[in-house]
Amino acid sequence: MTTDDQKRPLLEVRHISKHYDNQLTTDAPIIGDLSLVVNDQDFLCILGPSGCGKTTLLRCIASFENYQGEILVDGQVVSKPGSDRIVVFQDFNQLFPWKTVARNVQDPLKRRGIKDKQERERIADTYLEKVGLLDYRDYYPHQLSGGMKQRVAIAKALALHPRIVLMDEPFASLDAMTRKSIQAELLQIKEKEEMTVIFITHNIQEAIMLGNRIMVMGRGGNVLEDMENPLPKPATPACEGFSALWDHFTQLLDQSQ
Amino acid sequence: MMAEKLKKILPQIVFVGIVIIAWQVLYRLQIWPELLFPSVGSIGRSFVDGFTQNNFGGAILYSLELLARGLLLGIALSLVLSSLAMVSKSIYAVYNMLVSVFDLIPGVALFPVAILWFGTGESTIIFIVVHSVIWPMSRNVIDGFSSIPKIYIEAGENIGLSGLNLVRSVYLPAAFPHIISGLKVGWARAWRGLMSAEMVFGATGAGAGIGFYIQYRRSFMDSAGLYASLIAIILIGVVVEYGVFRVIENRTIRKWGMVR
Repeated sequence: MTTDDQKRPLLEVRHISKHYDNQLTTDAPIIGDLSLVVNDQDFLCILGPSGCGKTTLLRCIASFENYQGEILVDGQVVSKPGSDRIVVFQDFNQLFPWKTVARNVQDPLKRRGIKDKQERERIADTYLEKVGLLDYRDYYPHQLSGGMKQRVAIAKALALHPRIVLMDEPFASLDAMTRKSIQAELLQIKEKEEMTVIFITHNIQEAIMLGNRIMVMGRGGNVLEDMENPLPKPATPACEGFSALWDHFTQLLDQSQ
Repeated sequence: MMAEKLKKILPQIVFVGIVIIAWQVLYRLQIWPELLFPSVGSIGRSFVDGFTQNNFGGAILYSLELLARGLLLGIALSLVLSSLAMVSKSIYAVYNMLVSVFDLIPGVALFPVAILWFGTGESTIIFIVVHSVIWPMSRNVIDGFSSIPKIYIEAGENIGLSGLNLVRSVYLPAAFPHIISGLKVGWARAWRGLMSAEMVFGATGAGAGIGFYIQYRRSFMDSAGLYASLIAIILIGVVVEYGVFRVIENRTIRKWGMVR
């Protein structure tokens, strides 16, 4: 498998551990000793109970947190936040309210060294089109619904062509209908775009549907399971093997509580 | 739309009407001497005469020009210094202390020192205006900066912004509601500071402002003129509130949905 180009390691998390700043080092850590390799083009879904450190792991990768250990992207140690690792948050308020939808997607491209304004507009429009929001390019975020805001956040992330997209339960606050349609869109985009994703969720069905690789985390950042998703896309609950997989993850999650 | 707006301000218009009528009734009752309590008519006449004969308009423009120069300087300084305070913890500690300390000193109390340094000219008035605006403005800006939701800052850092770039692209717009209320407080304080400075100094070498005009009316025992100048001061305040601040709010934080 190592000869396969798609299996090139992109992100390496080497023995990281994390205590909260006000926590005694003798207390149980948020993340004990976690190592992880994410390959190019992976769509890794991380499942875990609340408080297991999955968000903390994502925030460490984004360099929003201090930690012990090393995190490498393309073989280079990263220590500062950067647009090579774009985070899509759960919070709907991640867009800048003072910018229109279009500007929210365009302006970060400036930092990516795209100096030509028209080029930025073109790229932004392409990605807004992909998430079906081109008609809303001149709206302000407060005029959009939660689901639309999350779509813009995804467009913004993808337009930047990051090495890796870090999604922290981006759909957890959406209603079931909206969630379903955004999941389908994300899957479609993933098939067309070359992108590597770490997707945090506590929703087993979401993990099976989206991920080509699924990891289960328990307390203290223990990796309880890390496997290739055996189901072909699109994986729906009607697929053969879905419920067996579902049971497997449910059991793991129950044990980890 | 228009009718709706009218309906909203109708109580205010009715109230002002009642005050004017009550004033005239009190005047007719002759409770106080005319010198203390002039009629609505003579105040109105004095208001008009002020502009047509006594160059009140010139005095207002002169005051507003001084105010604008001081305000711009004060606002620019407070934005720059508060931004620097966000970049470095040491600057923050020192600046925070300076703001708390200097905000306690009334502009009037600084006159003697200011006169020693700058004489009784325009520079002193501008110094007083800057002093009145910079501290409350900075307090608001710093408070605004510290109450920005963490997610905006992280989203900014995530796209590669740091240092002053982060302050300019995220902190300033995200704190805009606080910055505008800082502007309002700053403008009100500066306006008062200016007025008192002008009343203390009278005319500066270059011209005479509203404060001087009021002193001048006083020395002629022109009480209708005094009331008329107070009305002018109120009107200028209303124009600034609705013509300037309201417009800025509508084009920024209201359009952005950051306030209702």
